[in-house]
Amino acid sequence: MALLYELVWRLLHCLLQLQRAAAAWIRGRVWRRGGRLCRRAALRLPGALGFSTQKKTAKPRRVRWVADGKALEKLPLHVGLLVAEEEQQYTDIANLVVWCMAVGISYVSVYDNEGVFRRNNSRLMEEIMKQQQELLGSESCKYSLEFLNNGTDPHALLCQTVVKVLSPDDGKLRIVQAAQQLCKAVEKKERTSKDIDVTVLDSLLRESKNIPDPDLVLKFGPVDSTLGFLPWHIRLTEFISLPSHKDVSYEDFLSALRRYASCEQRVGK
Amino acid sequence: MSWIREGELSLLERLTANVLKAGPMPKHVAFIMDGNRRYAQKRHVERQEGHTQGFDKLAETLRWCLNLGIHEVTVYAFSIENFKRSKEEVGGLMELAKEKFLRLLDEQCFLNVCFAYTSRHEIANAVKEMAWGVEQGLIKSSDVSEALLNECLYTSSSPNPDLLIRTSGEVRLSDFLLWQTSHSCIVFQSILWPEYSFWNLCEAILQYQQNHHAIQKAREVHREGQAVQQLESDHSCVAELLQHRGNGKPVDPQCRQTALQSYAASREERVQRFIGALQQKRDTFFDHLLSPTAVA
Repeated sequence: MALLYELVWRLLHCLLQLQRAAAAWIRGRVWRRGGRLCRRAALRLPGALGFSTQKKTAKPRRVRWVADGKALEKLPLHVGLLVAEEEQQYTDIANLVVWCMAVGISYVSVYDNEGVFRRNNSRLMEEIMKQQQELLGSESCKYSLEFLNNGTDPHALLCQTVVKVLSPDDGKLRIVQAAQQLCKAVEKKERTSKDIDVTVLDSLLRESKNIPDPDLVLKFGPVDSTLGFLPWHIRLTEFISLPSHKDVSYEDFLSALRRYASCEQRVGK
Repeated sequence: MSWIREGELSLLERLTANVLKAGPMPKHVAFIMDGNRRYAQKRHVERQEGHTQGFDKLAETLRWCLNLGIHEVTVYAFSIENFKRSKEEVGGLMELAKEKFLRLLDEQCFLNVCFAYTSRHEIANAVKEMAWGVEQGLIKSSDVSEALLNECLYTSSSPNPDLLIRTSGEVRLSDFLLWQTSHSCIVFQSILWPEYSFWNLCEAILQYQQNHHAIQKAREVHREGQAVQQLESDHSCVAELLQHRGNGKPVDPQCRQTALQSYAASREERVQRFIGALQQKRDTFFDHLLSPTAVA
């Protein structure tokens, strides 16, 4: 009997895997076909759509993105891009960062649970600069990107997006380090244990004082877990899942933002 | 009379349970039971009725969990933030909790109820306890680690939840078990809590099973990272000690290795003594809380 249940279980999971693979294949075909259709339409109606490769249509695309941002009821201040996938595509992440910038999001964090982006920080930064030029064309100079490393505070400038690359070390390990710092202060009699509360710990964990907690995390990939992403900072973060960051389209990104705009936070009330 | 709803599963439910149990099953499930008030609105009844139905649904869900071999459940009953609600609603919730949870004491599984809880307070309190340990001379600040912080959380006697389920369609954690669920499977379901069904639970478990391999792998990576951190910390403590004792002469590797092993052993001993002291402090606190003078 147990064998029969196991067989049924295996069959069930096989079917679920097939369903997932089929969905991914369909998405791939639709995107590619959609891209072909758009390119054909773009030739007939120059400037009408954003997919043209001609330089003179780069302006309408940026204008459309800015308008999209303004049209949303609620725009997140800080978006986290959580890549829960085996392989990382730098160009696609760079596109997402540039779209965040164009739409008016002030802070973007990029994370994967093996610290790959962190180790290849400069490669990611280069890719983002490249895509900024590619997607925003001549207008890219109006937008300034600031890449944040540990311990530095962002400069407050208009039309600026701050990008930070995170790894699991910024999660639990960071909390442990803050705890060690506080315990050292207690050892040196600079503090007592009674001083320690949420506010004290929070201010230690908020090393870059102006960066707010992520309002929205876009999770890419099939794994339904935060995989160690900033446990302290995500207490009120909305999580929206997307199947993959590979070949992610602007439309996918915008529909996630629209979903975020429609959610209501009661904060206990 | 048992509060956990009596009644066996139907034939189809039993068959489904047996199929699911052929795969990896979560041992500890956490629930954010959201949607009582929206349910009440939908059914045009009082909010209090929505909460009552919610508690009854919890009883039913606990029965399903037992049938599925899930022996530990943690629920978010009341957040510190919920004190912002009307006096009437808060009072009603407290009364309901008192009535329903008292009846649970006879049952043979673990139900952890997070009441007047937020995860940030729990984490800050754990750090405070470690600082207390340092103040008491039980541990050093260099003994502070992720594993030690785990021991200082309110959930220290439970394993981390394998699966976290939030109902009503909200897709956030709302300051619930943020530390403990960092590598849990998180399932957001749109059903309102009082409408939760056995099939919703099976759906969540199925998702857990689909994620099982990837999450186990991620947990392993994290554990390896923790081990490396501990080793590095021990190394640097030993290096400091040897420098302190030595007179500028280089230390041979054998001597360093022995020093490292003996340091790790003494660290473990310190930590165990601290955990013992912490447990005693907590027991004293609860004894005092339950003493006749306190209850009056």
